[in-house]
Amino acid sequence: MSVSANDNASKASMRGFLAKYSVLIAFAAIVIFFSVASPTFLTPANLFNVLVNNVVMLAIVALGLTIVISSGGIDLSVGVSVDMASMIFVMLLAAGYSGVVGVAGGLGAALIVGILNAILITRLNISPFLATLGVLFIGQSTQQLATSGGQPIYLTSGYAADQFNAIARTALFGIPTPVIVLIVLAVVVHLLLHRSVFGRYVQAMGAQPGVAWYSGIRVPRELSMVHVLCALLAGVTGILLSATVKSYVPLSGNAFLLDAIGATFIGTTLSRERKPSVIGTLLGVLLLAIVKNGLLLVGWNFYWQQVGIGVLVFLVLAASFGLRRAAH
Amino acid sequence: MSATVLHTEVGVSDEKQAAAKSAGRRFGALVVRLGAIAAFAAIMAYFVIFAPGFTSTFNLINVVEQSAILGVLAYGMTAVIIGGGSDVTEGGIDLSIAANMGLCAAVYATLLSMGYGDFLSVMAAIAVGMAVGALNALAVVGLGILPLLATLAVLNVAAGMELTLTQNTVVGASSPLLGVLVSGSFFGISALAWALIVFSAVMIVVVHGTSFGLRLYAVGGHPEAARAAGISVPFYVSFTYVLSGFCAAVASILTVSRLSASTPGSGELLLSVLAAALLGTVFSRRFVPTMGGTLLSVLFIGLLANGFQLLNVSSYWVNGVQGALILLVVAITSFARGSEGSR
Repeated sequence: MSVSANDNASKASMRGFLAKYSVLIAFAAIVIFFSVASPTFLTPANLFNVLVNNVVMLAIVALGLTIVISSGGIDLSVGVSVDMASMIFVMLLAAGYSGVVGVAGGLGAALIVGILNAILITRLNISPFLATLGVLFIGQSTQQLATSGGQPIYLTSGYAADQFNAIARTALFGIPTPVIVLIVLAVVVHLLLHRSVFGRYVQAMGAQPGVAWYSGIRVPRELSMVHVLCALLAGVTGILLSATVKSYVPLSGNAFLLDAIGATFIGTTLSRERKPSVIGTLLGVLLLAIVKNGLLLVGWNFYWQQVGIGVLVFLVLAASFGLRRAAH
Repeated sequence: MSATVLHTEVGVSDEKQAAAKSAGRRFGALVVRLGAIAAFAAIMAYFVIFAPGFTSTFNLINVVEQSAILGVLAYGMTAVIIGGGSDVTEGGIDLSIAANMGLCAAVYATLLSMGYGDFLSVMAAIAVGMAVGALNALAVVGLGILPLLATLAVLNVAAGMELTLTQNTVVGASSPLLGVLVSGSFFGISALAWALIVFSAVMIVVVHGTSFGLRLYAVGGHPEAARAAGISVPFYVSFTYVLSGFCAAVASILTVSRLSASTPGSGELLLSVLAAALLGTVFSRRFVPTMGGTLLSVLFIGLLANGFQLLNVSSYWVNGVQGALILLVVAITSFARGSEGSR
């Protein structure tokens, strides 16, 4: 039976290959499908639109979550960081402050959310899931109280407001400014997570928290850093969001949460150990964005799109997890 | 009860030291648990004294009615967490439960408005709920996808199907069954309140009073040990997801009866369901999820919202206070648990 054993082994390695690259294969198949199905899909104008409107903001939030999930935690309060940054940014601009003050204030607000998470998780020993869930609730209340129940704040034309809106809509060397922001942040997070000592500590904490502690890693300090970084990245998204739509809509940040978690975990299927990575996360975000955009162009009913995305994510995960299980 | 006995075995190397430590630990845990319950009691006492009409029978029954939907959902979530273990990223969780309820409510209301009878519509809603649960089970148990991810994908599918079915509109519904649920009452307690009482009794008995429940805890607490003991782990884990789908279907009928319609936006309940299921762990001696604990935390969340309403405090505060309380309770809990060295 040596032939069949050999055969089985090659089948198993084939399955392993398919499992590893299932996301990439799915990605390529989807791009080809939509290119054929819709004449506008592959046009530069459309791809530009997908990048600016569907990818950048989600991707920046997902980068933050990638760091947190690498450390073995989770941050359910990314939406609050997005909203708080957006709220303070818009309020400051509306009050006539300059853009620099607005950005500093917005990032400061996100920083406070991150520090709060860090204190709850590292000082009070609350599990990340519950700590950030609690912060999510508190953040929602804070926004409702600050906006008398969720009234949006619109930026009427002021100098700083127009300037920011322009930044969100302009391009540098033919690349839209928000995309440049994303690329810079992605490179920084990639270096931080995969090429620095901090990143190695984060990975160690994610793989074996106990061992990381015994090895002398200052877990509380590194973990605080992780949550602060995640909140700050979400804050950048908040500022980009309100610069693009020239307003602050309360509780709008939560829409990023589930997609960002989904994208990060879709990205983990790229690695054998299921570790999150910056490249995997970006691929996950692209996959979600392209499917959303493609279904729209093909003319699917808006409500069916959510079903489509759910089914697709399910199938990609099923292929990756199921084939890997079969390969072992 | 018997289920907790199983959970008192901790990996012990040095028995003497551990015995001394565990006595102190138990005392600390007891103090913390009583402290948490005392904090709840203090808030309740405040409402009793200062909120007008808080203790009236009418008001209390009203709270129980309002809690019925959250309660039934939280039982489903609790079962999943018990069976899947409470690890942050790898443990059991059902993110699709609230969206599933929305889908079942849409199916139920749509079928009623198309003229199908109560029996058929209820059966269809339950079938849909359990089918969604079975899909979760297939993904988690059959394909080995992380529960957090699998149920996230199913959440999108269920929410999308609800939107497709209702086109994001309110679907009005009325039927004899809904009539009974809305206005019927037995022994002075309304039908909705009865629904919660009966459902709670069944869940508590099944999970904490039967060998089935004990095995469920074993599966969640230590899957390898459970399998070595001859328990079919896949069956029990699958069961919790299907049960969770069933709970979503039951809750959907309750919510349609309360609102006389299926309405979009039921997915927002998810966080409250999670909060209720996780907060409930404080009421257990070993800080594990229990059905009784979930019931207490559901009622507590209901009473909190109600007390605020009676005190004329803006409802915008409710979420924040709920969040702060979760943090407070869990911080105290983890302080007690910290001595066990679990983190």
